[in-house]
Amino acid sequence: MPALFPRWTNGVARGSLLALVLLAAGVPAGLMLWVRTSYATGEHAQITQPVPFDHRIHSHALRVDCRYCHATAELAASAGLPPTAACVGCHNSVLLASAPLAPIRASLTSNKPIAWRRVNALPDFVFFNHSIHLAKGIGCESCHGRVDQMGQVAQASSMSMGWCLDCHRNPVSHVRPRSEITAIGWDAAHRGPANDSLRVRLAHDYHVQSLTNCSTCHR
Amino acid sequence: MMSDRPRSHRDLALSRREFIHLAGASLALAGLDGCTRMPAEHILPYVDNRPELTPGVGEYYATAMSLDGVATGLIVESHSGRPTKIEGNPEHPASLGASGPLEQASLLQLYDPDRARFARSQSTPTSWEVLAAQLAPAALRPRVGARGAGLHVLIEPTSSLLDEELLARVIESHPDAHIYMYAPLVGDRGAHGIVTHYDISAADVIVALDADFLSSGPFHLRYARQFADKRRLAQPTDAMNRLYTIESGFTPTGAAADHRFAVRPSDVAGIARSLQSALNGGTAGPPWLAAMARDLRAHAGRSVVIAGEHQSNSVRALADSINDAIGATSRITWRAPTPLIGEHVPVHSLTELVAALRTRAVDTLIIVGGNPSYATPAPFDFSVLLRSVPNSGYVGLYENETARDVRWFVPMSHYLESWGDTRAYDGTVSIVQPLVNPLYRSTTSAEVYAALAGMGLVGSYDLLRSSWKRRGNAEAAWGDALQRGFVAGTQFARAESEGRGSTVEGPGSRVAATSNPIDVLFVADPKVHDGSFANNGWLQELPAPLTQLTWNNAALLSPTTARRLGVGNGVHIALTSNARHIELPALIVPGHADDTVTVHFGYGRAGAESLARGVGANAYDLWPSTGVRFLSDVAITVSSKTSALALAQTQETMEVREPVRHATLDEYRAAPSRVGRRPGRALSLYPEIPASERSATQWAMTIDLATCIGCGGCVVACQAENNIPIVGASEVRNAREMQWLRIDRYFAQRETEVEALLQPMLCQHCEKAPCEYVCPVQATTHSNDGLNEMVYNRCVGTRFCSNNCPYKVRRFNWFDYNKHLSDTEMMAKNPNVTVRERGVMEKCTFCVQRIREAGIAAGREDRPLRGTDVRTACQQACPTNAIVFGSLNEPDSEMVRRREQPRSYAALDDLGTEPRVRYLARIRNTNSEIAGAKHDGGAR
Amino acid sequence: MMAAPARLEPPRPPEDTAFPPPPEWDVLQFDGSDRALTDTLLAPLRGVGRTWWTLFVLSALGTLLFAFTITYTIAKGIGTWGNNIPVAWAFAITNFVWWIGIGHAGTFISAFLLLLNQHWRASINRVAEAMTIFALMNAGLFPILHLGRPWFFYWLIPYPATMGVWPNFKSALPWDIAAVTTYLTVSILFWYAGLVPDLATARDHAASTFRRRVYGIFALGWRGSNTAWRQHRIAMVLLAGLATPLVVSVHSVVSLDFSIAQLPGWHSTIFPPYFVVGAIYSGFAMVLLLILPLRWAYGLEHIITKRHLDAMAKLTLVMALLLTYAYVVELFVSWYSQDPSERFTYFVERPRGAYAVFYWIMITCNVIVPQIFWWKRFRTSVGVLFAAGAAILIGMWLERFIIIVTSLDRSFLASSWHLYRPTWVDFGLLFGSLGQFGLLFLLFVRFVPFVAISEVKRLRHDLKANDGRELGLPHA
Repeated sequence: MPALFPRWTNGVARGSLLALVLLAAGVPAGLMLWVRTSYATGEHAQITQPVPFDHRIHSHALRVDCRYCHATAELAASAGLPPTAACVGCHNSVLLASAPLAPIRASLTSNKPIAWRRVNALPDFVFFNHSIHLAKGIGCESCHGRVDQMGQVAQASSMSMGWCLDCHRNPVSHVRPRSEITAIGWDAAHRGPANDSLRVRLAHDYHVQSLTNCSTCHR
Repeated sequence: MMSDRPRSHRDLALSRREFIHLAGASLALAGLDGCTRMPAEHILPYVDNRPELTPGVGEYYATAMSLDGVATGLIVESHSGRPTKIEGNPEHPASLGASGPLEQASLLQLYDPDRARFARSQSTPTSWEVLAAQLAPAALRPRVGARGAGLHVLIEPTSSLLDEELLARVIESHPDAHIYMYAPLVGDRGAHGIVTHYDISAADVIVALDADFLSSGPFHLRYARQFADKRRLAQPTDAMNRLYTIESGFTPTGAAADHRFAVRPSDVAGIARSLQSALNGGTAGPPWLAAMARDLRAHAGRSVVIAGEHQSNSVRALADSINDAIGATSRITWRAPTPLIGEHVPVHSLTELVAALRTRAVDTLIIVGGNPSYATPAPFDFSVLLRSVPNSGYVGLYENETARDVRWFVPMSHYLESWGDTRAYDGTVSIVQPLVNPLYRSTTSAEVYAALAGMGLVGSYDLLRSSWKRRGNAEAAWGDALQRGFVAGTQFARAESEGRGSTVEGPGSRVAATSNPIDVLFVADPKVHDGSFANNGWLQELPAPLTQLTWNNAALLSPTTARRLGVGNGVHIALTSNARHIELPALIVPGHADDTVTVHFGYGRAGAESLARGVGANAYDLWPSTGVRFLSDVAITVSSKTSALALAQTQETMEVREPVRHATLDEYRAAPSRVGRRPGRALSLYPEIPASERSATQWAMTIDLATCIGCGGCVVACQAENNIPIVGASEVRNAREMQWLRIDRYFAQRETEVEALLQPMLCQHCEKAPCEYVCPVQATTHSNDGLNEMVYNRCVGTRFCSNNCPYKVRRFNWFDYNKHLSDTEMMAKNPNVTVRERGVMEKCTFCVQRIREAGIAAGREDRPLRGTDVRTACQQACPTNAIVFGSLNEPDSEMVRRREQPRSYAALDDLGTEPRVRYLARIRNTNSEIAGAKHDGGAR
Repeated sequence: MMAAPARLEPPRPPEDTAFPPPPEWDVLQFDGSDRALTDTLLAPLRGVGRTWWTLFVLSALGTLLFAFTITYTIAKGIGTWGNNIPVAWAFAITNFVWWIGIGHAGTFISAFLLLLNQHWRASINRVAEAMTIFALMNAGLFPILHLGRPWFFYWLIPYPATMGVWPNFKSALPWDIAAVTTYLTVSILFWYAGLVPDLATARDHAASTFRRRVYGIFALGWRGSNTAWRQHRIAMVLLAGLATPLVVSVHSVVSLDFSIAQLPGWHSTIFPPYFVVGAIYSGFAMVLLLILPLRWAYGLEHIITKRHLDAMAKLTLVMALLLTYAYVVELFVSWYSQDPSERFTYFVERPRGAYAVFYWIMITCNVIVPQIFWWKRFRTSVGVLFAAGAAILIGMWLERFIIIVTSLDRSFLASSWHLYRPTWVDFGLLFGSLGQFGLLFLLFVRFVPFVAISEVKRLRHDLKANDGRELGLPHA
C-alpha cells in the first residue's frame, strides 16, 4: 500500500507544530508592542488646525508667554484657548487681512467661535488639572515638550496612564522653580545630578507629594 | 464660595446659540462617556473676553424658588453658563443653608425635555409677541367690555411684589376684571390673610396636631433646623426638647416624634377639645392625653401646640386658646401677614371663578401657572368649564391637562431662567435671578401681566428694575440683594393680636361623624407635591419617606385595617364617594391610623409629560371641594386587580441584626456606654496603611440618628451632585435603584406606639473594606486619606465587591442608563463627575470630586487642606444638620466631637470593617408617665 | 509506576488467537479477536443511526439558543438577567461552578485512576476525558459572559499594561482564570496524547483515502513502534502526574471565589474539600449519563461491564457520603459560631425561606438518592443508575444555586433584602450550554474512537498474561 503522505509533509508537520507555539506566544506579545507604538498613542500625530498658528513664531521668536493665550492654566483645570478677541488683540494691526487669518475674521464677524482641534486629549474619565501642576512647579514643557519648536503642535508624549504614573510616583525629578514654569528648554539646561539638590529643595518648599490615589485623576 | 462681586444681568447675557456651544464644549470636557477610544474633539473658546467665566470652574449665584408662592433662598452652582447644582442659601431665613427634595430636583425640571417649547393658538404655532399684542387693553376691550368685566385671570399663588404691582395696573386698565389665586394645597385665604409663625428653638415641649411642620409647608426647613438644634445631646446630661405628634398617616414629623399617636383625622378635633379640657383638669380622652397635658402645663412658656395648616378653624382656634393658656402665644408663636399678594389688588378664590364660569360670565380667561384642569376638585368640572370659555389662554411649563383645554398657550420660563422677586414666609424679599437665558422662547408671569396692563413687550428684567426703583430702593442695594439673595430687613412685623379674630380661612371637613366606617385623608405628596413635579424622575424615584414607595401613589392603611379588608400590598381597592371613585393599590404602613386611608395628590397625570403620564391614580377625582382635608363617607371595595409596587425597601423590621441602635433619654443617661460603641473585632488580617503614607486629612462622617427626620433631601442632593441616573419602576421593583445614599427605614413596636427607625445608609468607607480585596482588577482601592475609592473606568463588573459589601451600598449599571438622555438632561450633569457606562459598579465616594477640588485649591494657595474645606452634598442639603463631614485629625471639629459621644457607633461593627461613617444612636425623650415609654431600647 | 517497559509491552499475539470465555464479573468480557474488538469500537466512525441524528438536531437547536442568548446579553447588558443588588451573582456563576465540577470526574477517572493502576478505567476514560474538555469549554464561557464589561476580561490576566497597574492577587478571581485555563490546557493535552494511537488505528481502518488522510494528520504519523509505545506510555504517566493535582486544586480555587467573602453561607473554611468532593460527585453522575446510553446503543456490555457500573456506583456512594459529611459540618459550624446571621442563613433562610423547596430537593438528590447504592442490585441496574445520575446532576446544580442565592438574598441589612427571579435569558443560557455540551459530545462520538482501543486491547493482554487474575480492581 502506498505511503499516505509524501516525504516532504514531515517538514510541514514539524513546522506547523513550531508555528503553533510561536502563534500562541507571538500574538499577545505583538499586541503589547503595538499599544506602545506612536500609532496607537497618537504621539507626534500631525493635526491641521483651522488657523495655521505657528508656535515657533509666537512662542520662540516673539517670546510670547504661554499664559497670554492659555490664560487659565494657573487658575483652572483647563489651560484654555484664547478667545478670538485675544488673537485680534495683536493681529488687528498685524496680518489680520492675510489669507491664513480668514477664520479669525470670520469668527469676529459671525460671532461664532473658532473650532480648534484638540491635540492633547485625555479620556473623559481622567480629570487633569493644569493649575495644581503649575503650582507644584511642573513646567509646561514636562508634558507638552518643545512646543517652541513645533510648527504644528503635536502630542509630545504617550499620555498613557503609565506615563502619568512615572511622574506621580517620582515627582521630584520634574520639579522646577515656579518662576521657570513656562521656560522652554529649562530641563535641558538644568539636567544632571547638580540640580537634584535644587529639585529636592523646591519639592520640599512646594510641598510636592507623590499622589497615586486613584481618585487623584479618576472621579 | 459665592462669587465675590455683585452680578449684573450683562454678566449672564449669553446668546442661546453661544450657550449651546458652551454646553457642547463643557460636555466634551465633562466626561460624558466612559469610552476609552479618543474621538476627534473640537474646542470652542469664546469669541470675546469673559473675565467672569473660567471654563471648568463653578460659579455660584443666589436666587430663590417659590413653592405655593412662598420663597426659599437658594445658591445655584453653574458651569460654563449651565446650572448644575442647587444648594440652600445659608443666609436666607427659610433655608438656613438647607434644601429639600423639591428644591434640589427643580434643577432637573429646568432641563426637562418634555417642557413646552412653542407658543400656539389652537394648534397653529404662533409667538408670544403676536399673542401679547392681542392681550393689550385696546385689543382686548372689544371682547371684555370697556371696564373689562369679561376678563378673568387665574394665577398660582405668588408673593411677588412685581406681580402684585403689575396686576394692580391690569385692574387699573380693566377695573371690573377679576383676579383669582389658586393652588390645591393652599387653602382659599381671605385678602388679608394672617398666618401663624413659630419659634421652635424656644419650645421644650411641642405638640403637633396633625401638623407635618418638619417636612412640609412654608418654613419647614427652618423649623427642622430649630427642632434639631435642641436635640444634639453633646453630653448625655444635655437638655432635649420633646415632641408629641398626633397624626393619621406616618410623616417625618411623626418619625421624629418622641411620642406618636395615630388617630383618625375625624378624631383630631375631638382630641384638641379633650386636650384643652385636660389642661383645665378635665379627664376626657385617652390616658396619654392627660400626661401630655400635664407636660405642656409643666413647661408653660416653653411649650407650644402646632395645629396643621389644613386643620379646620375650630381646631386652629382651639390650638390658639391652648397656646394662650400655656403662655406660648407671642413667645413661641405669633401671627404675621401672609406673604401672598392681595393687599393692593383684590384676589378672589377658585370657587368664585367656578361660579362665574358656570354663569358663562367669562369671556377671556388667562391662566398663569398651576394646572387647574387637573388639580381641582372633580365636582367643579373645571376642565369642561374651561373648554367652554370663548377666549382662554394658559402660560405654563408643560403642555399639560390645562394646556389641552385652552385656545392659546405660551411656554413659561423656569425660575432658573427668569428675573423676578418673591417673598419668604416671613415676608423677606428675594430677587429671583436667572442662571441661564431661557432655553426655549418662553415668557414670565410678569411679562404677561405687563402686556395685559398695556405696557407692551417689556422684559421682566426691566420691569423688575423699574419697580425696584419705584419702591425707592437704593441702586447700590440691588447688587447686594442679588449677591446675598434677599433684601435684608424686609420681613413683616408681627401682626397685632386682634388680628386673631380674622384667622386664616382654614378649610373644614365634610360630615365628621364619628360613627363612619372609614376616613380617607388627602395629603400633598412629599415628592411630586400637588402634581407639578410629577414629571421629575429624581422625585418619582425618590423612595417616599417611611413608605419607601416610588413611581406611584397608593392607598396607605394600617395592618389592622388591611387585615379587616383582607388586602395585602399591591391589592387594588376602589374608593367611592358620591358616585366618584378612584382605584389604587393598597400599601400597608405600620403605625398608620386604623380605619383610615391616606391618599396622596399629584399622580394619575394625563398631560404631555412622558414620565408623569399614567403613574398612579388621580386623588383629585375623589376630592369634593377645595380645602377638604378628609372624607368620611367613602365606600371601599376590594378589587380583583393587583399591581407590584415599586418599593425601595420591602422589609419592615431590622430582623436578624441591629443596624439602628436606639434608646430613651433615661436609658441613655442611666448607662451611656450601653447605647453606643462596642468593641469591634480586634484582630485583622488586613495590612495597616503605614502612618508615613497616611495623608494629613483623614476623611470621615458622623450621622446623628436622633435628628434625622428622613425627608430625603440628602438623597436627591446626592443624585444631583453625582450624576446618578434614574432607572424606572420596573428596575426599582427588581432592586436595581441607583441612589448612592438611601434612607433605611425600620419599624419597631413599642407597646401601643409604632416607632420608625431611620438610617441614612451610604458607603461606610470601611478602613478594612471587604469590597477592596475581592476586586480582581483593583477597581476599588483605599486612598491614603481614608476614602474607599471606586474607579469606574477600571471596573470590569464582576460584582464581587457588592456581594461582599455587608451594607449593600454598591450600585451596578445593569444597562446603559444614560444612553437615552436628551441633550438638555445631559446639561444637568456635573462636569466634575464621570458619567458611568454600562457594566460598571458605582457607589458613594464622599463627594471625592469636591475633596480633590478643595485639595487642589489648597495646593494652589500653598496652605494645608482642612476638613472643614469640604462639605458633601448630603451634608449641605440636610435641614437638621444630622450629617457632618470632616477630618479625623481635627479633634476640635464638630464631626470628631460628635463621634466621641458615648452614643456613637459603627453599623455592624462586629464585622470588623471599621467604617469611617459613624452613627449616633437614636435617642427619644419619652415621657415616663406615658405607657410604652419604658422599653428595652437598643442597648442590650 | 514507571514499571519495566517489558511488562508494559506484551508481545503481540497473532490475530486469530482465541481467548477463553471470561467470567461473568470480569472487567472485560469480549471474547472475539483483536480485529473484531477494533471493528466493534470503530463502528460509530463508519456511520450513525437515527437516534444519533435526533439527539444531534436537538442539541444543535440548544446550541443556537446558547449563541442567541449570549449575543443578546452582550448587546444589551447583564440587566437582561434576573440579577439585582443584593443578588449580584446567580445563574451564570451557578452554571460555571456546575460545569467545571462536572469536568473533574473525567480527570479523576483518567489521571487519578491511572496513577492508582486501576486498569478497568480503560473502557471509560476516553469518554470521561472528552466530557471534561467539553464541560470546561462551557464553564470557561460563563465567568467572562458574567462580567459587566466582558470586552475587558483580559484585565484579570497579569501582563505588563501601559496603565502600569496589575490584577489584584488578593482576589480569588485572577487565580480562577489561571486555574481554569491550566486545567483546560492539560486536559486537552492528556486527552489528545491518549488519542494518538487510536487515531492511527482509525487511519488504518478508514474506508476512503480522504478519511485516511484526515485521521493520518491527527495521528501525527504514529506507527506503533516499541519506542513510540514506550515514550507514549511515559508521556501519559507524566501528564497524569500533572493532571492529578489539578483535580484537587482547580475546584479549591473556585471555592475560594466564595469562601474569601465574609458573607454568611460563603464564609467557611470547609469549602475547598467540600467543593472538590461535590465536583467529582457531579462528574461521576454525568459519566453515568454518558456511558450508559453509549453502552446500550453500541452494545458494549462486554466492554463496559457490570463491573464498571458497580465500581462507578460505589464511588458515587462514597462521594455522596463525603458530601453529606460536609453538609453536616457546615450546619454544625454555623450553629457553633453563635453568629445570628450565620444561623439565620443555615437554619432559617435555607430550610424555611423562599427557596426552601429547592433546598429540600437538593438534600433528597444529593444525600438520600445515592443511598440506594448500598444494594448491589441497584448498583448494576442500568435504569436505576441513569435515573440516579440525573437526580444527582440536578441536585448538584441546585446546591450551587442555594449556596449562591440564599446567601446573597438575605445578608446583613434587612433593608437590602431582596429575592432573585431568573429571566428567560438565564434559562436560555443554562439550557443552551447543555445543548452545546451535547453537540460537542455527539460529534466526538461520531468522529473519534470513544473507547481507548489500544488501552482496552492492552488490558485484555495483561489479563491474559496474568491468566485472568485481577489487575488492581478489588473484588466485587
